Amino acid sequence: MISETVSETLKEKLKFGLFLGCNIPFNRPDVEQAMRKIFPALNVEIDDLVGQSCCPSWGTMPSVDVVGWCAVAARNLCLGEEKGIDLMAACNSCYGSLNEARHKMLNNPEIMNKVNEILAKIGKKYEGKAKCRHVAWVLYRDVGLEKIKESIKYSLDGLTIAVQPGCHFLWPSEVYPDKEEDPFNPKVLRELCKALGADAPYYTKLIDCCGMGALRSTNPEKSFTLVKEKLECIKEEIDADLIVTTCSSCLIQLDDAQERLRKEGKISFSIPVLHYVQLLALCMGFDPQQVAGICVTPRDEIIKRILESGKR
Amino acid sequence: MSDKDIRIGVYICHCGENIAGAVNINEVAEFAKNLPDVAVVRDYLFMCSDPGQEIIKEDIRKGLVNRVVVAACTPRTHEPIFRRACEDAGLNKYYFEMANIRDQCSWAHWHEKEKATEKAKQLIAAAVAKARLLEPLEDRYVELNKNVMVVGGGIAGIFAALDLANAGFKVYMVEKNPSIGGNMAKLDKTFPTNDCSACILTPLMVEVANHPNVELITYAEVESVDGSVGNFKVKVRKKQTYVDWEKCTGCGACINACPPKARVPDEFNEGLSLRGAIYIQFPQAVPKKAVIDPDACIRCSGRWFGEEPRRTKDGKPILAPCEKACPTGACSRDEPRDPNGELIELNVGSIIVATGYKVMDKKQFKEFSDSPNVITALQMERLITATGPTEGKLIVPSDIPKYLEWKKKVEKGKEAELEARKPKVITFVSCVGSRDNRYHTYCSRVCCMYMLKQAMLLKEKYPELDIYMFFIDVRTPGKDFDEYYMRCRNLGIKIFKGKVGGVQKLPDERLLVKGYDADLGKPVELISDIVVLATAIEPNTDLKDLARKLGINVGAEGFLRERHTKLYPVDTMTEGIFIAGCAQGPKDIPDSVAQAKAAASSAASLLAPGKMKVEPLISEVNPEKCTGCGICVELCPYGAIEMVEYNGKRKSKINETLCKGCGVCAAACPSKAITLHGFTYEQVVAQIRTIAKKGVIEEV
Amino acid sequence: MEVMEGVPPVINLTEVARTEKEEFEKKVSELIIEFGAENLLACMQCGACASICPLARVGFEWYNKKLIKAILIGMKEELLDDSTPWACVACNRCTEICPRQVSPFEVMFAMRRLMVEELAISTLAIEGDRSLYEHGHAVYMTGREARKKVGLPEKPPTTDSDEKALQELRTILKNTKLAELGLIPME
Repeated sequence: MISETVSETLKEKLKFGLFLGCNIPFNRPDVEQAMRKIFPALNVEIDDLVGQSCCPSWGTMPSVDVVGWCAVAARNLCLGEEKGIDLMAACNSCYGSLNEARHKMLNNPEIMNKVNEILAKIGKKYEGKAKCRHVAWVLYRDVGLEKIKESIKYSLDGLTIAVQPGCHFLWPSEVYPDKEEDPFNPKVLRELCKALGADAPYYTKLIDCCGMGALRSTNPEKSFTLVKEKLECIKEEIDADLIVTTCSSCLIQLDDAQERLRKEGKISFSIPVLHYVQLLALCMGFDPQQVAGICVTPRDEIIKRILESGKR
Repeated sequence: MSDKDIRIGVYICHCGENIAGAVNINEVAEFAKNLPDVAVVRDYLFMCSDPGQEIIKEDIRKGLVNRVVVAACTPRTHEPIFRRACEDAGLNKYYFEMANIRDQCSWAHWHEKEKATEKAKQLIAAAVAKARLLEPLEDRYVELNKNVMVVGGGIAGIFAALDLANAGFKVYMVEKNPSIGGNMAKLDKTFPTNDCSACILTPLMVEVANHPNVELITYAEVESVDGSVGNFKVKVRKKQTYVDWEKCTGCGACINACPPKARVPDEFNEGLSLRGAIYIQFPQAVPKKAVIDPDACIRCSGRWFGEEPRRTKDGKPILAPCEKACPTGACSRDEPRDPNGELIELNVGSIIVATGYKVMDKKQFKEFSDSPNVITALQMERLITATGPTEGKLIVPSDIPKYLEWKKKVEKGKEAELEARKPKVITFVSCVGSRDNRYHTYCSRVCCMYMLKQAMLLKEKYPELDIYMFFIDVRTPGKDFDEYYMRCRNLGIKIFKGKVGGVQKLPDERLLVKGYDADLGKPVELISDIVVLATAIEPNTDLKDLARKLGINVGAEGFLRERHTKLYPVDTMTEGIFIAGCAQGPKDIPDSVAQAKAAASSAASLLAPGKMKVEPLISEVNPEKCTGCGICVELCPYGAIEMVEYNGKRKSKINETLCKGCGVCAAACPSKAITLHGFTYEQVVAQIRTIAKKGVIEEV
Repeated sequence: MEVMEGVPPVINLTEVARTEKEEFEKKVSELIIEFGAENLLACMQCGACASICPLARVGFEWYNKKLIKAILIGMKEELLDDSTPWACVACNRCTEICPRQVSPFEVMFAMRRLMVEELAISTLAIEGDRSLYEHGHAVYMTGREARKKVGLPEKPPTTDSDEKALQELRTILKNTKLAELGLIPME
């Protein structure tokens, strides 16, 4: 259902439209599979929102025209609104693009009217009710840490996790339905990791950009300097066993660019990277091949460690 | 309490860390305990605080001490506080002595802690040595004259005068120009509300001029000042106007008659146009009276004032054009006129100095070219204001002569086309002469805002104008000021952080401006029709001279120095003399007005009781010892000593009201016949000896 | 697209202003405001946005603060030639901290929109739009081994498997500037 406030969502059974985006279904379908496994197990119903499209991503309509951006986003939001549910995304870009578009429409009637003129051509109308929630926030606020703790078969005791909430999990806080108390010292992902038994300490570059997205496609070299700074900070300050993110773009960058940096001899360490839904799925005992089977930086060892030593 | 029973209390202040950070308080306290006649030694975090003072009072009340030495900061600010504490506790307040172990010790020797501690001991010992010889004294009172002289008739002077006059004080307003109004009268509009300057100023000028308690003395300057607080004797020179102001109605007929040959740059228009030798300062002048500038006058009729007129063949006297034009005879040259004007004398109890400022000339800034189209911001004010040389019509300054020609033709009913060029691009340059070690190190404080104001007025009136503004940085710390700045940005005025380093003339009178944009990190250049220089605000040329006459100080930058930057911002080191407005330092109109009102209130609260308590720290002659040599009479800077008959002999006598206790006479008297109370020979010598003996007090 | 490192060594403001007046129909600042950066003029060039901008950090020429300044003084050609805005990761940290609520991100993207409007873009910049129109996804892959490997159906429940939905999306796109400008072929 579409929630005005989070507490309201708790009155009935939780249900969200699973918004996939592009990178998850095509590049990292293990993340999609992880979500399809964990949410029903946590008693959260998911709807496929059949016919959903790209959010639209930053390099497409947002770069062409504000109304066009909002129209594509509104069509996706309508799919949820028609069923009376909010969307739920595991990709920060989708979360950002959809909510920024919604914010523009809600605050500028002119944009909203133009969008609905376009939507009318396909027999749709966006009322501004449905929004996009982030999987991390759904897990943290709607499902709750206690329920997560109850649900896991393997615990991460003794593991140190470097968290990467990602930019669009935080900024601009004004447009998001859920807000970190302090977006410059985010806690939600750290709390979620701690619920699994791991240590998730602060590190200096925790909120810094990974360099993914347009920066990477425009200038890979410059993009890699950013991710290298971040990885080195993680290695030096907290020597993490694992990097956990709530963004599919960050996941790809930290996983993929890390391997490239190693090949170029720019770094000598290897830290596996997982999306939080993957990590949760592993802890809940789902098949690692299905929920975490796609990566560039090897995960075998960390998965083995979790499954062997973490059994409760 | 007999004099022999001396019980000294020594109170050592930590002044937070200010003293305790360099001076070992415990060591000093131990030392003080062993000094002769010291009964009590105490230290405290802040001796001047309420609980600190209470410590002293308590000891006095309990009879533990009957002399008080406070070792703390400067007596200049804190002596009165501790004296009052002694008095409150029932001790004669002149049984108090202060040792300055902060300004003269801990601050000065911050990095030599041991030496600072040693010095503190010696200073305290010296104070104790003096305290043993202190004598009880009684305050005296002087009668105060309740009149006030306000020097300067600008916005600050006007407000100071009005507040005092409304409170019932008689005010003499002395202004050097023919009219009051000051620099504010030259401004077009005023930030941050863009009120028309004349609209808010002229009613005040009229009000002060018509006030029954205000006597306006314009075209006059202070010649000399004698006396002291409550009783100043001021000589004011009224300059020769060469026009009979009793008869002058300000009609302006004489001005039109004055021939072109006698024209000189018009000060009121900042030299952008010419005025005649006979002129009225500006159309809204108060008083609206004409004066003749004798240096500019070419003596048309071939005669000067009081000389026999030349005559036509038929014997009629040949009159000068101004004389002829004057309908009331105010310009008559029949009577001789003293070029030195007239000297008048005023008796006042207090003086407020509000003589304003001048702006730097652009001449010294050769890097900005000598083009007439490079102007100062004050010239820009004249160029855009309706009372200016072009009646507010915006043209490039190099074409003002063309405009004036055209205007003359049109006024004579001829048809004429104005060929003056209108500017398309105007560039503003900040900090010209301010924040510049070659000229003035200070910030002139108002330039950022008036530049923004001029830019805003121009852009709002002529939206097609391109305006570029170069700032070292934009300073807008005032109520509603930053909002004003943002309004400019929103108008599309282009703002650059970075200074213009050069302006070069192009062959067509336009200007090539070379600047820097710190935002882009690049040099930038543009072609501009007018360049406006925000030249620094400076002290008036004669301010130092005036300060010397008044016996007040000027700072290194040349502005009048206030007694204390924070606590006594409108007071001077000379009691009874207050300062307000830009004579004290650059400031805007709201701040000048606030200071003027503060100065008026200070003067009023000083004079209102009609008499004033004066410290008895003055000199006294012992006629038995005086040999009547008279050296002291000549030396006294206050004219307080005269020779009188005493037992048939000539002896000197000091007038208690006039004596300021400077001590010059006491030091000079060859027969030690003069005592300066509070600083007697014995007391001072005891202090010196103690210090010479490194803190050991000699028994006399 | 190559990043242009070179800006003219001296910026000629007179020439910039002349070009803006004589050669452009609208001021570049007006266009940027129109294209979504409504608070552009509130910028006072404090530089906070640049202090945390990933692009500034890795050495792009026209990062947020400088781009805004260049727009404010009316530069255009130099900006149209430069690819910096297309490297913006849209992280929006600048938006979060801007003391004047300028949203430098919005300026970056308005600049992208202006470049699109003026067709000053490379083919790479519209590749995503083409893919969006064709498949409903900006990132699209034909190979489905990964999906099979993790036990998912070959096609996700998106426009990829729903022809009607894809046509809806195309109808929408045909009614946007994308079609108006003829940036990509639309049948």
